[in-house]
Amino acid sequence: MTGMSGSLRAGVMTFLLPIALAVVGCSRAGDDATVRLALQTEPTTLDPAYSVDFSSGRIASLVHSNLVAFDPDARVVPDLALSWEILDGGRRYVFHLGRARFSQGRSVTASDVVYSVRRLLDPETVSPRWWLLKPLRGAAAYHGGASWDGEAVQAVDDSTVVMRLEYPVAHFLGLLAMPAAGIVCREEVERLGKGYGRAPCGSGPWMLSSWREGDEVLLVPNPGYSGPRTALAGLSFRVIPEQMTQIAEFEVGSLDVLEVPRAELEHWRAAGSPLLWKEELRVVYIGFNTVKPPFSDPRVRRALNMAVDVEKIIAHVLFGAGTRSRGVVPPSLRFSPEPAERYPYDPAGAKALLAEAGYPNGFSMEIWQRENPEAGRVLESVQGYLADVGVTAKLVTREWGAFKEAIDRGTPDAFFLDWLADYPDAENFLAPLFSSSNIGGGGNRTGYRNVRVDSLLDAAAACMDAAKRWELYRTAEAIVYGDAPWLFLWFPEKYEVVSPRLTGYRIPLIFNGQRFLDVGV
Amino acid sequence: MRTFIVKRLAMLVPILLGVATLTFILMYVVPGDPVRALAGERYDEETLARMRTELGLDRPLAVQYVAFLGRLARFDLGRSFVTRRPVAEAIRERFPRTLVLALSAMVLAIVGGIAIGTIAAWGRRPVVSRILMTFSLVGVSMPVFWLGLLLIYLFAIKLRVLPPSGYGGGSIRNLILPAVTLSFASMATIARVTRSGVLDALGEDYVRTARAKGLGERIVLGKHVLRNALIPVITIAGADFGSYLSGSVLTESIFGWPGLGRFVVQAILRRDFPVIQGAVLFMALLFILVNLAVDLSYGAIDPRIRPEGGKR
Repeated sequence: MTGMSGSLRAGVMTFLLPIALAVVGCSRAGDDATVRLALQTEPTTLDPAYSVDFSSGRIASLVHSNLVAFDPDARVVPDLALSWEILDGGRRYVFHLGRARFSQGRSVTASDVVYSVRRLLDPETVSPRWWLLKPLRGAAAYHGGASWDGEAVQAVDDSTVVMRLEYPVAHFLGLLAMPAAGIVCREEVERLGKGYGRAPCGSGPWMLSSWREGDEVLLVPNPGYSGPRTALAGLSFRVIPEQMTQIAEFEVGSLDVLEVPRAELEHWRAAGSPLLWKEELRVVYIGFNTVKPPFSDPRVRRALNMAVDVEKIIAHVLFGAGTRSRGVVPPSLRFSPEPAERYPYDPAGAKALLAEAGYPNGFSMEIWQRENPEAGRVLESVQGYLADVGVTAKLVTREWGAFKEAIDRGTPDAFFLDWLADYPDAENFLAPLFSSSNIGGGGNRTGYRNVRVDSLLDAAAACMDAAKRWELYRTAEAIVYGDAPWLFLWFPEKYEVVSPRLTGYRIPLIFNGQRFLDVGV
Repeated sequence: MRTFIVKRLAMLVPILLGVATLTFILMYVVPGDPVRALAGERYDEETLARMRTELGLDRPLAVQYVAFLGRLARFDLGRSFVTRRPVAEAIRERFPRTLVLALSAMVLAIVGGIAIGTIAAWGRRPVVSRILMTFSLVGVSMPVFWLGLLLIYLFAIKLRVLPPSGYGGGSIRNLILPAVTLSFASMATIARVTRSGVLDALGEDYVRTARAKGLGERIVLGKHVLRNALIPVITIAGADFGSYLSGSVLTESIFGWPGLGRFVVQAILRRDFPVIQGAVLFMALLFILVNLAVDLSYGAIDPRIRPEGGKR
């Protein structure tokens, strides 16, 4: 029996040792002035030219300055440029730069702006985001291989930059505030090449202190930043892929901000936690393949819009965290209400419309989705509603890469997708999603084509009068809504809880609109 | 013995070549375009074509394959499409974390599993035995995901003695929960196998002889029973360890552990070919080496087993 007690001891020790060790080394402080945030996915690069995903863009924008930036309300505010003039009916912009330094110490001059613009447009750079500077004069030609003529952007002196546009673009300043338009430090880019994305050198309020792959990106204040000084010691972005784990980290006080998953909303509301709330600049929809029968018939698309009780899905699957969309442009970017309701939940009406279109017995279709538990729940409800009107919907799940390839090529009958704003403007929703020039990878994955909408969108983009411009967008949107290339779903809402030690934090309307300069602990 | 090792190591080259070729083919067969995954949500086809050229994806498959093998011959795993970082550098950064987690989980599983299995078989009290075996049944059947969350809830949120997740710069406190979670299923299997091995051995003549010679129970257990019961345990532990070394996606995800598993899954989702190729090859190499070590250890534990080709 002595042998047994020996191994028993070993067994007990196996379980107790970790606990003992843990208790000894307990209580690591989280009381310093570093704001601790979570990222669901790790940034891929902090090089503005290649920052296309949410995490990369968000952090690249903290490290780099642009000529202008977004504030938390998504208004364009001065960044490197303290002021600017818009001349020649929107064809010429003159920016007056303030003093600023890159994180390696050198002063930022107008020639850095010229360099950064040219770099983004350079075909050798192969930036997927070059298009945002496409309105600049000669930009498209240069990108296509022509030589650089310097017309697009000029450094008049060290602190004055002039940009010339091919045609007026009302949302041009919004484009300049996107992560890809960040101003980079030439010698660092040239020294590091592709490695710049992991050792960026910008003149933004923050600079990269360390990046532990798969684990944490730590930013500290950039001593050279010219704007208001932050009282914080740093920003820590920890990569925590699981939402449940993020919640646990917040509960134990190691995260300062937590995005509350919709399924958890009730729990946090009941717990009395002060929830921050913001409508997202995002629209969720089911896109129809408008070139493929039966979806090439607008009556079929309208019928399917009437077949689904979207309000109920919002209430039960989204736990109320969304607003039914009767259009495309999110409420906070609108200057007038959405189009009047055309698709009330009406299964009988839907059936009648399907019969009129020649499908009295319905049909079968596939709805594609990318892997995502919420999409699954939503689409199962949709599937149920469609079955009520005789339409058999099969759900096809693919992971992101394969899904995107399929929708770019127009393979699926329909697909569940969302669109998140790059810049806060109606144009950013209507043009990529419905202009026929953007069919495929440009954003219009339904293949929707309407000459009237195209011309309205072109006219609106060039219209510098805000009221007239909105009127054009509103008209285009109403036509799109009537044509129903989508099964219109909702504008989602975002909820966050914030640790009580944090002050001044707000959920930004646009993803790179929170630079943590007004945040304290 | 030496011939055996040399032979097995010589097999490495054709096996790795096979793995490399298979991975290469699989990547091009599976749908999903790497440049589309890289380009974000708004791009033009011309840019995609440029990206393809830059990454060498526009060349004929055979040319890409030869270039890939050429790189391998120079021990160059290439650069990630996504992060533009050398793949070898990323593996060097990630692997030690996976190794630490795998080793701790394995030690926990072996020590805990053998202890539980032995007590359950050796013990005279059926109640203890039944409790332990129920525990191991639960261990075998409990999903890792659920176990991980349960441990986080208990030790991080309720008791507040351990951090819920993260690498913590290598702190042992951060290691405990993921290691315990990862070890659980192996521990349970090892416990069950140990128990049946010990029960079998207890019925053998040599145990009776050992007892009849008047040897102490401790020596009977250690020298005669456990030693004979260990062979299947090593097989299981070896196989599990091999898979732990390639990273454990679920455990790593729940605990935000920045190891190889998540790294590879991310790469697969993004169609980051160089990373997938490099990591799969690296894992295959590890697997082969662990298996070799397991085969060699059989002989050390049971002298009747000698690797084939060795001298008796």
